[in-house]
Amino acid sequence: MGTLDESDPGKASTCAEVDVEQIGKFFCALLDGRLSPSAAEYVDQAAAEIIAGVDLKRMGMLFALASRHARDRVLLDPSEEELTLAAKLVPGWNPERWGLLETLRARLWFARQDLDQASCVEAVEALFAHADEGECRALYRILPLLPDGLRFQWRMQEGCRTNIVTVFEAVACDNPYPARHFEDVGWRQMAIKALFLGSPLWRVHGLDGRLDEELARMALDLVEERSSAGRPIPADLWLCVGPFEQSRALPLIAREVDHGTEEGRCAGILALGRALQEGRLEALIRAQDPLLSPWAQAAQDGDCSQAAFSRLPGREAPNQ
Amino acid sequence: MRFFDPHIHCSSRTTDDLAAMAEAGIRAVIEPAFWLGQPRTTLGAFTDYFSSILGWERFRASQFGISHYCTIGLNSKEANDEGLAREVLEILPSYALKEGVVAIGEIGYDEITPAEERAYEAQLNFAAENDMVVMVHSPHRDKKRGIQRSIDVAINCGIPMNKLVIDHNNEETVKDVLDSGAWAAFTIYPHTKMGSARMCEVVKQYGPDRIIVDSSADWGISDPLAVPRTGALMLEKGIDPEIVRLTTWQNAIDAYAQSGQIDVEALEGSLEVDQRELFGDSSILRGQEPRVDTPVIN
Ligand SMILES: [Zn+2]
Repeated sequence: MGTLDESDPGKASTCAEVDVEQIGKFFCALLDGRLSPSAAEYVDQAAAEIIAGVDLKRMGMLFALASRHARDRVLLDPSEEELTLAAKLVPGWNPERWGLLETLRARLWFARQDLDQASCVEAVEALFAHADEGECRALYRILPLLPDGLRFQWRMQEGCRTNIVTVFEAVACDNPYPARHFEDVGWRQMAIKALFLGSPLWRVHGLDGRLDEELARMALDLVEERSSAGRPIPADLWLCVGPFEQSRALPLIAREVDHGTEEGRCAGILALGRALQEGRLEALIRAQDPLLSPWAQAAQDGDCSQAAFSRLPGREAPNQ
Repeated sequence: MRFFDPHIHCSSRTTDDLAAMAEAGIRAVIEPAFWLGQPRTTLGAFTDYFSSILGWERFRASQFGISHYCTIGLNSKEANDEGLAREVLEILPSYALKEGVVAIGEIGYDEITPAEERAYEAQLNFAAENDMVVMVHSPHRDKKRGIQRSIDVAINCGIPMNKLVIDHNNEETVKDVLDSGAWAAFTIYPHTKMGSARMCEVVKQYGPDRIIVDSSADWGISDPLAVPRTGALMLEKGIDPEIVRLTTWQNAIDAYAQSGQIDVEALEGSLEVDQRELFGDSSILRGQEPRVDTPVIN
């Protein structure tokens, strides 16, 4: 029977303090061989300048000038080993979709010698005051890797108030910060906003570890709002329900399984697994429906965590 | 056909405009920093504006499959408020070197005052030091003399002529600009400056070399489709399609890609943009169907 993954580093977990020196070295290693000679030269030069000490204006310029040395659309494309190492350095950190330019900027940020000091927070805010879209994304991906994460709580939640989808996803997706540090209101708003923006909720790190009655209620309200408007229900919405609010949730899930889109029907079945509805799953398995029965079997076998939603029909293939 | 409109103030255009532009084949735009129709009174108004053309406007355009670049600069009109102008020049380096900033601009003269000249020179010097392209707004009044002075001062400040774009030209100014070695841009305004038909005559007379067509569409009566419309009229009048391509697409790329901030490969590549991920009902489209799977007309 499926249970949600409770081992996920959620809000209450006591994560060891990050080792900024190791992370800094990791960024150097990530860039090694991935930059053009002129870009590598820029990084070395800029990093040396930062280590020697730069004022806020110069820091901003060095951060901006990085855009002359790496194209935004070029992905970092980390190897399996690199991903493993990243998650070891900071639990939940997943640079799978980072860009090369973001990595370059992170490398520069980690050249700062004041990462655990108040001047670092001041520099973060100074950069945000002038940041363009790509710089915002980079900063929201860098902050979770810094020590004393709570210093950045307001800033990270502010990142969710943007309507620029790419910036929102830099905070919400593949990022360990929200599950660990957002307070409940900000956390739930982020989850529901992801549905509005069409952002992949299954990529919100630690989602399964922070479900509650209130998030389920908000999600079910949205189901009714969308149904009244005759609009489809985002398949990821069912991630928010979990085992909560069952008297309201179960009829709505049943309706989705019966009448939803192909993606929605399969997501509904995963939702049944997450709501611990063994009997219903059993019936769906017995029905031997070519589309639905395999999903019911998976859910019955416990394969209905948020990661399972990445495999819904019509979605990108899981990583090789 | 595909078009590049290298001068349009998207922040004063609607989503209907952006949709029509994409539909008409506009694949990329440059949004120069300018004034807002009335003078700003605080530095914050400038910084928020710069942030907006570097962030939100870029995102808005991207939702229609349009690559959005911008220029950063203190315009000539507001250069006359000297106290505020000094503050703006002070913070300019924090914006001018950003990703997608393809030039310092639009700068130059309005009334040709000493204050305008000081701001112009300061920005030319910054551009020269940082190896940037310069987009010059030529004045409406005393245009011919204003343009000549813009070029002379730029030369004095060490701007190479292949990195200087003089905008808002007409039949009377084009020769001076081309002779100087700078790029000559033409704004197609419905009623003033240049019309599409006059533009065709200019191209017939001077050829396509270093000539750029733009709309300069803003908050006034103006046409965000001026570039594709002019391209269509050129073809109709029998102008060589290659000349049309150069003046409505390639020359703008060649001029502004010198900044290193245009991903030419991506721009030239597939125009098939999957917009689904970018459309969200609380971002731009509020509950409408996204215009997915309709690649920009090529
Ligand atoms: Zn303009």
